[in-house]
Amino acid sequence: MPTTWCPGCSIGTVFKQLASTLSDMSIGKQDLTVVSGIGCSGRAAGYFDVDSVHGTHGRAIPIAEGVKRGNDKLNVIVFSGDGDLSGIGGNHLLHSSRRDINLTVICINNEIYGMTGGQMAPTTKVGIKTLTSPLGNSYNPVNLQGIITSNKRHFYARSSTFQIAHLQKCIKEAIEWDGFAFIDVISYCIENNGRRLGFKSGYEMLEHNKKEFKVNSSPEGRLKDDELGIIKSAEEK
Amino acid sequence: MKKLIMGNEAVALGSLKAGMSFFAAYPITPASEIMHFLAKKEDEIEFVHAEDEIASIHLVIGASLAGRKVLTSTSGPGMSLKQEAIGLAHMMEVPLVIVNVQRVGPSTGMPTLPSQGDVLQARYGSHGDYNPIVFYPNSVEECYKYAIEAHNASEESRSPVILLLDGFLGHLSETVDLGNIKINIKPRTLAPLGKGSRHFTGLLSRDGIPLTKDSTYYREWYSKYKKRISDAADNYRFYEYIENKKSKTLLIAYGITSRVILPLKNKYSIFRPIRLFPVLDKELMKISEKYDRIIVIELNDGQYKGEIEKSLKRKVESMPLLGGTLKLKEIEEKLK
Repeated sequence: MPTTWCPGCSIGTVFKQLASTLSDMSIGKQDLTVVSGIGCSGRAAGYFDVDSVHGTHGRAIPIAEGVKRGNDKLNVIVFSGDGDLSGIGGNHLLHSSRRDINLTVICINNEIYGMTGGQMAPTTKVGIKTLTSPLGNSYNPVNLQGIITSNKRHFYARSSTFQIAHLQKCIKEAIEWDGFAFIDVISYCIENNGRRLGFKSGYEMLEHNKKEFKVNSSPEGRLKDDELGIIKSAEEK
Repeated sequence: MKKLIMGNEAVALGSLKAGMSFFAAYPITPASEIMHFLAKKEDEIEFVHAEDEIASIHLVIGASLAGRKVLTSTSGPGMSLKQEAIGLAHMMEVPLVIVNVQRVGPSTGMPTLPSQGDVLQARYGSHGDYNPIVFYPNSVEECYKYAIEAHNASEESRSPVILLLDGFLGHLSETVDLGNIKINIKPRTLAPLGKGSRHFTGLLSRDGIPLTKDSTYYREWYSKYKKRISDAADNYRFYEYIENKKSKTLLIAYGITSRVILPLKNKYSIFRPIRLFPVLDKELMKISEKYDRIIVIELNDGQYKGEIEKSLKRKVESMPLLGGTLKLKEIEEKLK
């Protein structure tokens, strides 16, 4: 079906894997709500055939927490981007994860603010040129793994739009996790970031991610910058 | 049975009576007592002391969508933070009640002194064209009563209703017998999440599909939205009119100001709107006809005076009382 995403966009991949996993887990319409933020990934909520919410910028997590607290029989999934979740939404990420609310948060991490043309994000790497860092970003990116794992009880997964089987595994475990589960999905934006950086297609960016990241099935303590895997701590709730 | 109750507490009690079962807020003078009171009800309701005002308003939006009647409370600075989400609630048609216990602004201002400086913000604070329903009681008993009506109006209009108080009223203690107050509680009008395939979005949409380029549709949507609010608000035309047949002057006041000027009814007529927005145009038009002078006495720089002037299309005078102090003697002097 036609979506608003650009040809070569990686959001569709994550959307499909989520839909697939939900179907495999037999999670039906009456048991589910998807909440999204503002950004290209924000349009995903409307494409699910369930009750969904497309809220304000950065506030998908508090809306989702409100939904979950309002009716804890619902599986509540947040589907949003790195800018929305860690930039403007950073405060809510900190506190909802600290309160360990039973949510699954899927972060489409493309290291850019894509929707608005390609401005730098909290996750943009040092040196990258964007519309608001034309001379190259001088700030260290936000440490999503650090923020999530700073909580005693935590679930941080990093996957990518290339390692699809791994992504499905992360999604399933995150939904089953009885607490705040965060999935950092390494993605890419070809139209408003990749092209400016010299990539010729979405596929090239996908191949780049494939080379850059390896799955570590039994990480100790923390994931290295080029590793994909799951870090969780099931200390008493 | 009569009990000594504080305004803030009465709001919380009214909200509970209306069936509110989810409360999220952030501490702020002079509204914190609402939070403290409801924190003690953690076994009856879901209570969240959120990380900020923005989280609070979004939490209640989420909980309302999930099926609860919800409440959040704050003062001026927090109200400013909530504006974007208020627009979202209007667009997504979410029933909820926001209490603003006003203090002197702008900015941090005078946290412990009362004002009515957020009246226009209640009406126009968020961006875009929208039509909020706003109530403003003037006694502890009314705080209870209009908290219930605010929930009712929010269900009927499927929009966020603002209940204004001021620092005086919030902290005013009066003996009241709440058991004597009987009001019908309107049931939930929004089916909770999980029941369908609805998409709630801040974007302009039809049946859950965003239509962000269709100006003709926007006009259709806006006019339906405006009518829905207006039709619902029609069931809540609350005001008080104390006529002094000898007076050629009509005083208009609301909230704590209306309590203070009550003794002046021996000299003047007094009109007290309880529903501030939508403006009670019909009632004002009819009542104001016979008066030579209309003076709006308020704890702000003529905010509601402007609205009344617009509505009546005639000259209306303003008596601003600024800085958080309110004295009957001063008002009497100015009226001479």
